[in-house]
Amino acid sequence: MTAIASNDTARLQHQRGIERWQLPLAVVAALVVGFVITAMVSDEPWRAYLALTTGALPDIRWSDAHGWEMRRWVRFGSVIEDAITLTFLGLAVAIPFRARQFSLGADGQMFLSALAAAAVSLYVGGPWFVVLPAAFAAAVLTGFAWGLVPGVLKARFGANEIVTTLMLNLIAVQFYRLVITQVMRDPTAGYLVTPVLPAAALLPGLLPRTNVTAMLFLVPVVVVAAGLLLSRTTIGYEVRTVGVAPAFARQVGMPVGRAVVMSMALGGAFAAFAGLHVSNALLKRLPVDLSPGMGFEGLVVALLARNDPKAVPVAAFLYAYLRTGAQAMERTTDVSREVVLVIQAFIILFIVSERLLPTLVPRKFARWLGRQPKGDA
Amino acid sequence: MASPSEDTIIELRNVSKRYANGTLANDGVSFTIRRGEIHAIVGENGAGKSTVMKMLFGLERPSAGEILLNGRPVMLRSPRDAIAAGIGLVPQHLELVPSFTVAQNVVLGGEPVRRGFIDRQGAAEAVRRTGERFGLVVEPNAIAGSLSVGEQQRVEILKTLYRGAQIVLLDEPSAVLPPQETEALFKALRQLVVAGLTVVLITHKLAEVREVSDRFTVMRAGRVTGHAASRACSPSEIADMIVGRAHTPLQLSRPTLRRTVPLLTVRDLALARRDGSTPLQGVSFEIAAGEILGIAGVEGNGQAPLAALLNGLEAPTSGSASLQGDVITGRGVRGARSRRVAAVPEDRLRDGVAASMSIIDNFIAADYHRAPFSRLGWLDQGVARSKTQQILSEFGVVARSPDAAIGSLSGGNMQKVVLAREVCSGPRLLVASQPTRGVDIGAAQALRRQIVELADRGAAVLLFSADLDELLDLSDRIAVLFRGRIAAHFNARQVRTQELGLYMTGLRHDENAAALLGSPFTTLAEEDAA
Repeated sequence: MTAIASNDTARLQHQRGIERWQLPLAVVAALVVGFVITAMVSDEPWRAYLALTTGALPDIRWSDAHGWEMRRWVRFGSVIEDAITLTFLGLAVAIPFRARQFSLGADGQMFLSALAAAAVSLYVGGPWFVVLPAAFAAAVLTGFAWGLVPGVLKARFGANEIVTTLMLNLIAVQFYRLVITQVMRDPTAGYLVTPVLPAAALLPGLLPRTNVTAMLFLVPVVVVAAGLLLSRTTIGYEVRTVGVAPAFARQVGMPVGRAVVMSMALGGAFAAFAGLHVSNALLKRLPVDLSPGMGFEGLVVALLARNDPKAVPVAAFLYAYLRTGAQAMERTTDVSREVVLVIQAFIILFIVSERLLPTLVPRKFARWLGRQPKGDA
Repeated sequence: MASPSEDTIIELRNVSKRYANGTLANDGVSFTIRRGEIHAIVGENGAGKSTVMKMLFGLERPSAGEILLNGRPVMLRSPRDAIAAGIGLVPQHLELVPSFTVAQNVVLGGEPVRRGFIDRQGAAEAVRRTGERFGLVVEPNAIAGSLSVGEQQRVEILKTLYRGAQIVLLDEPSAVLPPQETEALFKALRQLVVAGLTVVLITHKLAEVREVSDRFTVMRAGRVTGHAASRACSPSEIADMIVGRAHTPLQLSRPTLRRTVPLLTVRDLALARRDGSTPLQGVSFEIAAGEILGIAGVEGNGQAPLAALLNGLEAPTSGSASLQGDVITGRGVRGARSRRVAAVPEDRLRDGVAASMSIIDNFIAADYHRAPFSRLGWLDQGVARSKTQQILSEFGVVARSPDAAIGSLSGGNMQKVVLAREVCSGPRLLVASQPTRGVDIGAAQALRRQIVELADRGAAVLLFSADLDELLDLSDRIAVLFRGRIAAHFNARQVRTQELGLYMTGLRHDENAAALLGSPFTTLAEEDAA
């Protein structure tokens, strides 16, 4: 009996050791595979790979005339811009996922929230301390409400949330286009776009020549709020329990339906921050052809972060970093950015292959990884 | 009689099986199966019969001991090994492909091939020949989904025979069959034996043991408690072996007075499902404060629906249950819990805990939504932690830390946390289903003491248990459930397991039984008590 018990403990430790290191291990493994692929398609794989992995960084140079100088901020700026958007979208997907709701509605929620934020910014006016909070409130309420819809459909009528969220995305995007074309269009612009939002409604910039704004400071606040929501509130507790043990949740009398609805509505509220970031920080006006699909990148980020809010910004940064690096690689070498898509696909494959990594990693190494600082029995 | 080594086809020697979660399903099981016999393995649910079957078919491997086939030890690592060794299994829930023909189903995985294509005619012919040889007539070209359950079962048997099985294992074959088809099945099994095969079947129906089998082995709590030739035993002798004769008191002293004021009143509780089944019909009973009412019964006679109605998971079709006049049924789980009903569910890992969550998160699950565990929607983690730590030591739970996943605990420690959660919610009624199933003796004893203490503090306890000794020791009164009705009502001090067995298996039925506080106890005729 003791032999079996200690065997189990060893296996558990093995698993726990792997889990904590799954993301870095998957990234390293995928980069190795990616390099092999790059070597097959490129004449200069080293240079291409260097561009991919460092192309997103700012350039630091020394010259006699100017001393130390940092250049190429634009690229690194776009990494940060994307990472902010993706963090919010990652949270928007991760929260419903924790209740085991495969909501794919982040796209639609973001579009409608952006529209709400822009509308408030344009038509409410006033000083920044009036218009900005109003824009935030409008965006968050819109995202929450649009997330509520598939939640209620699921809890009330058993409608599959994957189908309903995808359909609601279509409705949201078309409604967005309708409003921009028919209502909010700037007649002086040469294309279908809203007027530029008033300066008071824009978030102050942080880096010149980029769209990195004060939204950056909001990221840690929102991430911590999402973490607290899940770990410290009764609703978060219900969401977590319903996600891992629905039968148990019913047995102890939890409002299972309400937890499902709330998880999806709260996800929508987090998508709203992404929407506001797009309208009031990145673009400063909303074009009719704002491209859908960001929500699905949020899905990948949530997957990489294993639905843990703390890990979402890290995963979002990694994703944005690779994407900008890919653009740099495409521009400066003979490798197309599709290779990066392949590498990203490999990262996801390695992450979701939960049972692959433990067998790949030797047990001894895993135990070393899994060791607690204090060391447990 | 030939020497045992010659006519023994399968022998289990001291076979034990402990599952990864610590449950000891088989404990030193030894018995033999003779060539050319029909051998029944009998016992209650959870007695370890299915585990024996799984080991014989290579689905599980023994933790200790050995299995001998034709006198030689064998290692059955997978069903493939078992099939190669001539062992076939007919599962309880039939697993045919409904859109395939009988022949296609039978040859699935071992199709005859001609010129690189599946030989359909050859398959049908082979199936027809096999069927005729063993007297199992099924039209090979019929679509499996259009057959009756009995015919489908015959196809499953054919499947094992087609693969050359010499030993056919059947897991509760009659559970899914109507009576006429059961007879046809038994006839078919006898023909298999005439053709020289060996049949092993699991059952918990006493009548079947005598009707179809040559010999039987009785299992109880993972051990073999008896074996005999079927026709040499009377039904009540077999019933004795199933429920166990030796009764060692647990020495928990209980007051014996009969109470008169009910705390829980259950009247004419009935449940009818949409599929036409009626798992509960007109169940009435009462429990006084401080009293434990035990429910005995073979699994599937209405215990689970009764527990689900009382804790609000399901609503009754008619009738109601109330605590001092306050109706608790049909108000949802939270409605029942707010009237101080607590429940220890039967399926611990599915309904009793969230295995991947921490002990703290599991402990607060019943009362997280109110003070002191939360205020205005915010959990108070300090209170949750200190309360959990307190009950861990109070209930003697062995755990690394309150933050450990509850799934990492042994079954006994896990159940202690479950019971602690329910007891700490201050219940007036505790519905405890199989509270000590799969738990080691020490933990079981501690759990029983907690349940008795809860009753002594004035709660009403409804106890479901397949362990009749436990039921006799803890309960003040015992009601027997049979086919959704109360079939008997006993004073727990004045009834023996054998007598319970008669009513549990349907050999006796007290038509007027109810378990109200004033209800008369079922009296036993002289020849039964003897």
